[in-house]
Order: sequence, then C-alpha cells, then structure tokens
Amino acid sequence: MSGQDIRGFDSTDIDHAAVSTPDMVEVPPHTVGPLDESPEVRSQRLKLLSEIVVLYVLCIGAALVLSAIIVELTGGDSGAVFNALLDGSVRGPGRIGTTVGVATPMLVVALGSIISNRAGLVNIGQEGQLFMGAALAAYVGARLGGPGPWVLFVLLVASVVGGALWAGIAAALKYRRNVPEVLTTLLLVTIAAQLAGYGLKVQWLLLAPAEGRSNRQQISRQLEDATRIPRVTWFGNEFPISAFFAIALAMIVGFALARTVWGFRLRMLGHNQRTAHRAGISASRYGSGALMLSGAFAGLAGGLMLAGGDFGNYTLVPGFPSEIGWTGLLVALVARQRCSAAVLVSFIFASLRTGSGFLASTGVERRITDVVQGLLVLALLIPPAWMFLRQRRRAVASSEDRT
Amino acid sequence: MAGEPHNDLTGAHTGLRSGTGPSGPAPDGRVAIRLDQVTKRYGAVVACDQIDLELRAGRIHGVLGENGAGKSTLMKIMIGLVLPDSGTISIDGARTRLLDPTAAAAHGIGMVHQHFSLVEPLRVWENVALGDSGRLRSSEVRDRVAEISERYGLDVDPDAIVGDLPVGMRQRVEIIKCLRRDPSILIFDEPTSVLTPAESEMLFETLRHVVVEEGRAVALVSHKLDEILKATDEVTIMRQGRVVDHVITARTDASALAEAMVGRKVSLRSERVGLGHIEPLQSDTNEHTSTRPDADDAPVALWLEGLRVRSHDGHLVLDDLSLQVRAGEIVGVAGVEGNGQRALADVLSSLVGLEGGQVRVQGQRVASGVAGAMASAGVGVVPEDRHDSGVVLEMTVAENLMLVDVTQVAKAGVINRHELRANAERLIQEFEISCSGPDAPLFSLSGGNQQRVVLARELSRQPSVLVAAQPTRGLDVGAIEYMTECLRRVAQSGVAVLLISSELDEILDLAHRIVVISSGRIIGEMQRAEANLGRIGLLMGGQAA
Amino acid sequence: MIGSFFSAIFDVFTSEAAYINALTFAVFLAFGATGEWVAERSGTLNISLEGMFLAGAFGAAVGMDQTGSEAVALMCGMAAGLSVAIVQAQMSHRLVANQFVVGLTLNILVLGLTSYLASELDPKTSKSDTTTIPLLSDIPLVGSALFDRSWLFYLIYPLIPFCWWLVYRTRWGLELRSSGENPQSADVSGIDVNERRRQSIYIAGLTAGMGGTYLVLAAVGQFEDSIVGGRGFIALIAVIFGGWTLRGTIAGCLLFGSVLSFRLSLPALGYDVSGDLLASLPFVVTIVAMSIFAARVRPPRALAQPFIRGLK
Repeated sequence: MSGQDIRGFDSTDIDHAAVSTPDMVEVPPHTVGPLDESPEVRSQRLKLLSEIVVLYVLCIGAALVLSAIIVELTGGDSGAVFNALLDGSVRGPGRIGTTVGVATPMLVVALGSIISNRAGLVNIGQEGQLFMGAALAAYVGARLGGPGPWVLFVLLVASVVGGALWAGIAAALKYRRNVPEVLTTLLLVTIAAQLAGYGLKVQWLLLAPAEGRSNRQQISRQLEDATRIPRVTWFGNEFPISAFFAIALAMIVGFALARTVWGFRLRMLGHNQRTAHRAGISASRYGSGALMLSGAFAGLAGGLMLAGGDFGNYTLVPGFPSEIGWTGLLVALVARQRCSAAVLVSFIFASLRTGSGFLASTGVERRITDVVQGLLVLALLIPPAWMFLRQRRRAVASSEDRT
Repeated sequence: MAGEPHNDLTGAHTGLRSGTGPSGPAPDGRVAIRLDQVTKRYGAVVACDQIDLELRAGRIHGVLGENGAGKSTLMKIMIGLVLPDSGTISIDGARTRLLDPTAAAAHGIGMVHQHFSLVEPLRVWENVALGDSGRLRSSEVRDRVAEISERYGLDVDPDAIVGDLPVGMRQRVEIIKCLRRDPSILIFDEPTSVLTPAESEMLFETLRHVVVEEGRAVALVSHKLDEILKATDEVTIMRQGRVVDHVITARTDASALAEAMVGRKVSLRSERVGLGHIEPLQSDTNEHTSTRPDADDAPVALWLEGLRVRSHDGHLVLDDLSLQVRAGEIVGVAGVEGNGQRALADVLSSLVGLEGGQVRVQGQRVASGVAGAMASAGVGVVPEDRHDSGVVLEMTVAENLMLVDVTQVAKAGVINRHELRANAERLIQEFEISCSGPDAPLFSLSGGNQQRVVLARELSRQPSVLVAAQPTRGLDVGAIEYMTECLRRVAQSGVAVLLISSELDEILDLAHRIVVISSGRIIGEMQRAEANLGRIGLLMGGQAA
Repeated sequence: MIGSFFSAIFDVFTSEAAYINALTFAVFLAFGATGEWVAERSGTLNISLEGMFLAGAFGAAVGMDQTGSEAVALMCGMAAGLSVAIVQAQMSHRLVANQFVVGLTLNILVLGLTSYLASELDPKTSKSDTTTIPLLSDIPLVGSALFDRSWLFYLIYPLIPFCWWLVYRTRWGLELRSSGENPQSADVSGIDVNERRRQSIYIAGLTAGMGGTYLVLAAVGQFEDSIVGGRGFIALIAVIFGGWTLRGTIAGCLLFGSVLSFRLSLPALGYDVSGDLLASLPFVVTIVAMSIFAARVRPPRALAQPFIRGLK
C-alpha cells in the first residue's frame, strides 16, 4: 500500500473531514488562550460554559417546538403526544424494562461506532452489519445442537463474525482499492437487506421448515427457549441480562480507548494518519481492525436482538434491524463519541421509540417519533459546531501570529 | 563591517531612483496608503499593536521582522483578510474600511502571496481571472496576460495548467494576477523563499520597474536583512506586534536593523544566520565547520542508492538520487523548493514507497514505505511540516513525546500514566520545552516549542541518522539558535545528520558537505570549505556547473 | 448458466421496452447526479441527495394533489428539494458540522417526515401524459425511449448542457471549481468559498427536486415513502464513477439506470431471477465499479474537506 498517501481520493480526504469537524471530535473546553488560570480566564471560561448551556437549551427547545408545530398542523394534540411518549417509555408499569431492552443493542452499536470514529473512519453501515450479524446468528441458532447456553454463546460469536466480515468488505475496499468507506458501508446496508431477504426465501439458508408457518411467510426458525438470553425482573420491569453485558462493554471500551496502547494508537491514527504511519501504525492494519471491530459490535447487537426477545419473537424476518443500526450511530454522535454518555443517550433514544408504541391512542402516526428524533439530532449538532467554529477561528488566528 | 557592502548595493539603487533620493524620515512621494494606530487582538494576544505605516507611490517599503512579529497580520489587514479591532486606514487620503479581499482589490491593493493564491488544476488565464467580477471572457483575459507578460518580461503561456509549471514560473503567474488589476499598492510577502538567487535578482528588477516607471507603492515583507537592504528605499521594523523603528535604507546598516528587529545586540553567528545575514564565504573565521572529526574515516550511517519515487500524477519526483552520510557528518541538501526535497524526507519517514533504489541505515537495508520501518531502523526525522507528519495536535505533550515508543511505558497493553508523565517531565526539562505541563494539548504550544517536542522525541530515541527538513522555518530567532546548536551537538555525538533546507545561509552555516538537489537528483557536491556561492546558485537553477 | 446470462443481456439490448425502462431510471438518476456533480465540483459530498429526491417527490405529489397542475407540482418538488439543501448547506457549510452526519440525519428526518405527512395528507396523483416528438420518436429501438415521454423527462435535455455551461463557462463556475480544488487560494483571491459551496448544494437540491417530481409523476405515478429506496446514493456514486466529469457522470447514470431496470426488464422478457438478488445488483455493480475506478480518477482536491478560513 505504499504511495497511498500521495494518491488522490483516499482515506485522508474523508478522514480529514471527519477529524477536523466538531461532531466527530471532542473539543476540549479550553482550546483558547494561555493555560494559566487567572481570574479573568476563569470568568471567561464560565461565560463560555453558560453560553454552551444556553445554546443547547435553545436548540433542543427549538426542535421540540418544531415537532409540536408539525403535530398541531396535522391536527394532532402535542400535549397528548408528549404524555403518551412518557407513558410508553418510562411512566407506564413495566415500560422502563422494555426501554432498557431496546436501548441495549443501540448502545452496543454506538460503542462500535465510537471505535471506528476514534480511528478517523466514518462507518455509517451499522444497519447492514447488524443485519448480517443477526442472519448468521439465526443460521447457527437454527442448526447447532447441544446445551442451550453453549448454542447461545456460539450464535452470539457468529453474530460478531457476521458483522465483522460485512464491515471487512468495506475495509478491504478502502485499504486495497481506495474506495471511501462512507460510500461502501452505506451501499452494503441495502445489499445486506436484500441478501437476508433472499436467505429468508430459501430453506437451505434461513427459511424455517414449512410446519408452523403460513406458506409464503419469510421467517427464520424460532430460537429454542434454552438458547434465548435470560431475562430478569426488577421492580416490575423485565429486561434481558444482556443489558448488564452492554454496560460492562461500555466500560471496557471506554477504558481500552483511553488507557491502552491500542487506544493510544487508534487515536494517533484518527488524528494524524501520516504521523501515525511514521511512528509505525499502519493505517490499513489498525484502520481495518477498527472498522471490522465496529462491524463486530453492530453484528453483536443483531445477535442480542435476535436472542433477546425485545425485537420480534426470536425469529429473523425482513426488516429485522428496524433502524437500530442507524439509531445507534446517531447515539454515538449525540454522545459526542463518549462511551459513558452513550449509555444515557441510548436510553433516551430508546424512550422515544418505546414511547411511540403508545401513540395510537392519540391518533397521531408513530412515524412522528422519527421526525422528533431527526430534529433533535440536527439540533444537537448545532451548539458544538458553533462553539468549535468560534474557538477554532480564534485559536488558529492566535497561533498564526505566535509561532 | 557587516553592513558596508550592502550600503553600496543600496547606493546603486538610489541611483536608479532618478532623483527621489532620501530626504529624511518623511520622504517625498504621494502617500498611497496610510495605517493609523491599527490594532488587532486575538484573545489575550495582541498581534498588531497601534501600528502606523505609510506606503508612498514610487517607493519600495520594506517591512522587516521576525516570524511572529505581526507582519503577516498587518498585511492581511491591508488586503482585507483580517479586520482590525481599532485604528484607521486611509487610501489616497480618504478613510476606508477594507472589509474583504474584493474591497481591497477595488481600492487598488494587490498582494503576491508567499504560498501563492493559485489553483493548480486551472489554466493560467483562469487563475488570473479569479477574483474579478463581471462576465468571464477568456479571450480578453488571455490578451491581458500576454500584454502584461510582455511589458514586464514575465513570459508565460496563458493556456498552461498552473500545476504543470515550475515554482518560479508560478510566481510569475501570481505577479501577473496581481498586476492585471493595475494595483496602485503592491504587497510582496516573503517573495524569494521559492526562488533561486538569480530568479530573486530578476524579481527585484521587475519590482524596480514597477515602482520607478509606473509610480506604484510597493511593500516588501521579509525577515531577511540582505533582501531588505538590497531592494528597499525605506524600512519599517516590527517586533512583537509593534513598530519599533522606521528608517531610510540608505542610512542604516545590517547590524542596526538586526538589533532593532531582535531587540538586543546580535552577536551569535547562528542568530545572524536566522536573520538571513552572514557573509557565507568569508571562510573560515568560523569555528564550527572545521571541527569535524576525520569524517572520511567514519562509517557511512545513511546510504541512499538510486532512489526513484513517482508522484500520483505520474512524474518522477526523485530520479535516481544517491547520497551517503557518514556518522558525525552534517550533509546539507541545498536546492530551490519543489525539487524533490519533500519526497526525500517522506522516503526517510516511511511515508512513501520507492519505485527503485534502496535505503541502507548502518549497512542494513530498510524496507521503504512500511509503517514505522525507518523509525525503528534508527532514522529520526524533524519534518518540514510538523503538523503534517511530526506531531498529533490533539494529543498531549506527554503523548506526543512517546508516539513511537509508547509500549515502553505500558504493561500488558495498558499505559502507565505515571511513567508516561515522568518521561515527559524529564524531556520537558532537558529540552526546555515551555508548556503548562505534560498534559497540555500540543496545539496550546507555540511553534518553537512544538518543534522542540519533535526534536526531543526523535533524539531521545538515540537515532543513528537525523533528518532535519527546513528545521528552522517559521521559528523566531531564539528558537533558530537553539535548533542549530542542537543539530551541531547531535552531529558531534556521532549521529549522521541530513539537513534539507532551501535557506542557503543555513546550509552554509551548518553543513560539512553540501549537495545540491534539482529535479529530484543530486547534481553537485562540494565540501563546505570549497563551497562557492556562484556555483551553488547555478546548480540550484538546474545548471550543472 | 453463463450462456443464458448472455442471452439475457442480448435480449435486453434488443428490446425496446428494456430501453424505455433503463432510461426511466437513468434520467431519474441523472437529474440528481447532474446537480450533485455541480456540488461535488465545489468540494462538497451530499449524502442527503437521497433525502432531496424524497422531499422533491413528496413535494411534487402534494403540489399535484392540491392544484392538479404538473407545473405547480414541479415548483413544489423543486422547493422541497431546495429546502433540504438549505438545511444541509447551512449546517455543514456555514456551521461546518460534519457533512456526512448532517446528510445522514437529514435522510432519516426526511424519510420520517414524508412518511408521517403522507399518512396524514395522503396525496393522490396520477401518471403524467406523454408528449410524442414526431420523427425522432420513430428511431428504431431507442426512439420511443428518448422521445415519447412526459414533458418532465425532456427537462433533462436542457439541464445537462446548462449545468456544463454554468460550471465551465461562467465566472461563478470558475469560482466554484476553485473552491473545490484549492479553497485556501480561492479565499485569498476574494471568493467566499463556503458561499459558493452552499450555492452549489442549492443547485443539487433543485435538480434533485426535479428528479423527485419526475419520479413520482412520470415514472411511478403515486407517492410512497420507499419510492427513492437508496437510489439517491447511486446517483451520488454516478458522479464518482464518472470521475467528476459531466460526461462520465451521465455515462454512470446510463449504466446504473440499465442495471436498475433489469429487475423490471428481465422478468418481462421471461427470465426467472430472484427479485432480491436482482434488486441488490445495482448496488453490487456500483461497489465493483467504484473499486475499479476510484483509484484512477482525480477528484476535486478539497472534496469532502470542510473549509474554515485559516485552517490548514
């Protein structure tokens, strides 16, 4: 892969975009000015902080008001919608458990997307990687015999492999053929859906045996009881134990990225590919590793959804990923690529989703939650971008004259 | 004694000025643009502090100052790229606000940029038309280009793609682009950094032509004393954002200018090198170059053999380049920018693969283009653009000091933060890096200190070869001094040093042996003691002498 | 197997209906790709092209339903495409938020909004009538594919040369290309780089709005939220496939359009192929085409790099 750096449309073109813009990078709160803390500086920083808070409040408020207006204009009652969303997500009995169950795969997807982002890659194909992971898990789960926990373990490993390999296609194309991963991961989403759809039509792949299903239904064989993820009940809220697993994963990934040699090198690669290359970090090795790991997480999310029971009935059907991949990616963005924040954000996004189930009573179509979600994400992009731009302008200007 | 020959040169120019000789600190000639108490702040930093400046028609006005003195901000204010916080600008006596480059152009201000404002894939005439308004008429623009080319002796083909032109030619395009708008005020920003000595002479001739015959006002921004003394009529000297002095060139000399510019007496040789002012060939009162230990017997530490590198658009940027550097020797690679220096440094940074040839370090062949191969073979690099391949701006000082060897402070793959920090503290002290601590993000450091971080990291790895590409570019005098001393010490300790620089003075000051690179190959070689400025100049121009 | 593949290809190339199908898709792609080509020449890369198509289709459907006039529908479609473009442009080339993130979010938002509003408003449309151009439409094989179409189809004929003229022959185009190749230089030459980029995205929004209108009124006849179904991405990639030249972009649209049409053409010709696999074919072909061509062509140097004055 020598000479890659001087070729035209390669990684760096897109990486730079990703690295040097705000939503992908944590901007330290004190990017400007001398670092000693004079009272003046401290008050400036306080002012900055309050500005950020005000900006966030304004933007989120604007997104919610806009959503309410859309509801009202189409003849709905925005107050009722809001109440229904709250009931469906947290207020109703047992709904917190449901929300946790939905948040779990979102969080896992988000963690993977944080990893690839750290390496300066823009993986936006989690939806497809998740589907391929789930498909491979369903294939293994339907065929492998043996003790239930063993089968569960193997099918989860299969989901990891499925997602990793699907992302691996994009990685290979990126590092061998210079095809930007933004486009390939995206295209592979559609291909994954069509491949899985095909697999669900033929019996030697995923289609369940004829008994127990109506004839033209595309559905995989249901996982047996023993191979499902166990569920626990806390205070009347039932959810899969994979939720704990996801939180543990969040801590592990957070630690690995911040404290290990691997995380260090990934960051180096993400921020400056050429410096990293000189220091011995091969972009193709670490980059494809990160991209495949990111896919592996998405795939695992698919496996968890299949065996978790919060999505469908332990079977694979067309449209199975139900936009968890896309949402997980958005979770990572809104969490500003931090694992701890992703835990919270995934719960909020899951709330919007479980809340939408209660919208039927208000007579408002449930797709409204997609609108709310989209507007919220757009609104959340504004404050950091705005602050970034302002700080960057100053920092650049002052460094120009002080070098 | 330093200033005298230059006074003679300026004297010659005074003759050219046909009677508009200097007549005191307020010379005659119409005031074309006048800046009054112009101030620009960036946060706590004052880049320009109550600057007064007058450019007069028919005169060349030097603006002299170190890097970071505020020259470039001042020029950006004059072409509308930066808005001042306070102060007034008057053009031809009328107060004006220059809100953007288009407004400045409309007021007859044009600038020839140091790093050019050209778009490489476009044609010459398209570049010249860029930034105008009204309908785009290619034939009109082409005619105008031809006309200007002829009038000023700046021969260039209007239909050539700019990217295919050599650097010197591109500057012509840049000048034509500027003159096409018939500016009454012309600003040249460090114009000679990309030119051979002969091309520089030609440029100054053109400048005189423009000034004397057409009565334009010219500002020549530079940090090189020689250039200012040779080419200007009056000088404004800036330091730390302020104007510290304004003198008639003919009535000053190099040491006075240098003192005003730096703010103290300049005695050290390396400082004077940084100011672009030495008498290089007055050898060998100088103590350094002769102290080289019998280098001919020292083992060859770096051996480059027939290097060939092709750029992505297909032409050879290194064409059969061969070179040896012995342990303890400093070899200077002189040449005009854009003749393969970048590719040479990239090869030694593992950033580019070779099409042919090989690199040997301490006798061992090193694979080219493989991540980290050169670094682990013992090649340290201070890159030309540290932001490009020297540091990671977003990481901390401590992390940047351990980019290559982070495993040394890690156990079972987990980084020991204490050790990382301790190592950083040691290096910060040793290399006198000024920062708020090991955890400061690198971008919070000044350029000179960022450069020290690079140097500290590369030297702490005890390399057998050190490649320094344009190591003093963009640094202030103190930092330059530190850098050159450091390179000298490193060589004395037995490291083979390859110094790639387009500043001839720097090479003449530091190198034991000088090679000249042109079109990707070494076309001449000489010992420092035999160095002949005329011959180097010819070689740099691509002529085998 | 191989033999039947080639006979299928042969049948497709000699069937008039296949040309009609292929051009239906190709022209739809070309509407978006032409505008996207303009936008990419300025250094932007709009994933939101998908959303612009969809918004355009929805806007046109509503306009048609409300007024019954195809011209008004076209206006509505273009306005809807433009409004998505405005959000994209302002977010990523004024605020400098990451353009992929904004684009992706917009796609999701537009999909949610149109399917929500479609279920509330339920716009009814019918297929646009064809206008036959005498003589030209009698050309064998391709005549009716090219010249027996809705008037919306014919809009592509002036649009392509217009965009070419805009980019290569006007001062605006010169400034646009400079912004895509070397924004720093363009900036010091007095060009507002981000303004040119925003304007170029508006062009993409307008042409994608035309494409959406064409899709809903001339190609499909009824709005549904899956009407674009990822084909916006294919239009985007046609530009890359074409090596950032307009000629190449149109060639890319024709190629991808033909592949998209196989799903309709092959079964119609009596070939039994799995719908799912056939549906994924254009995407696979696109990836393969990219992997062959992406390394060889020279993109605008500043493609997909945000411009902030003083940065870099």
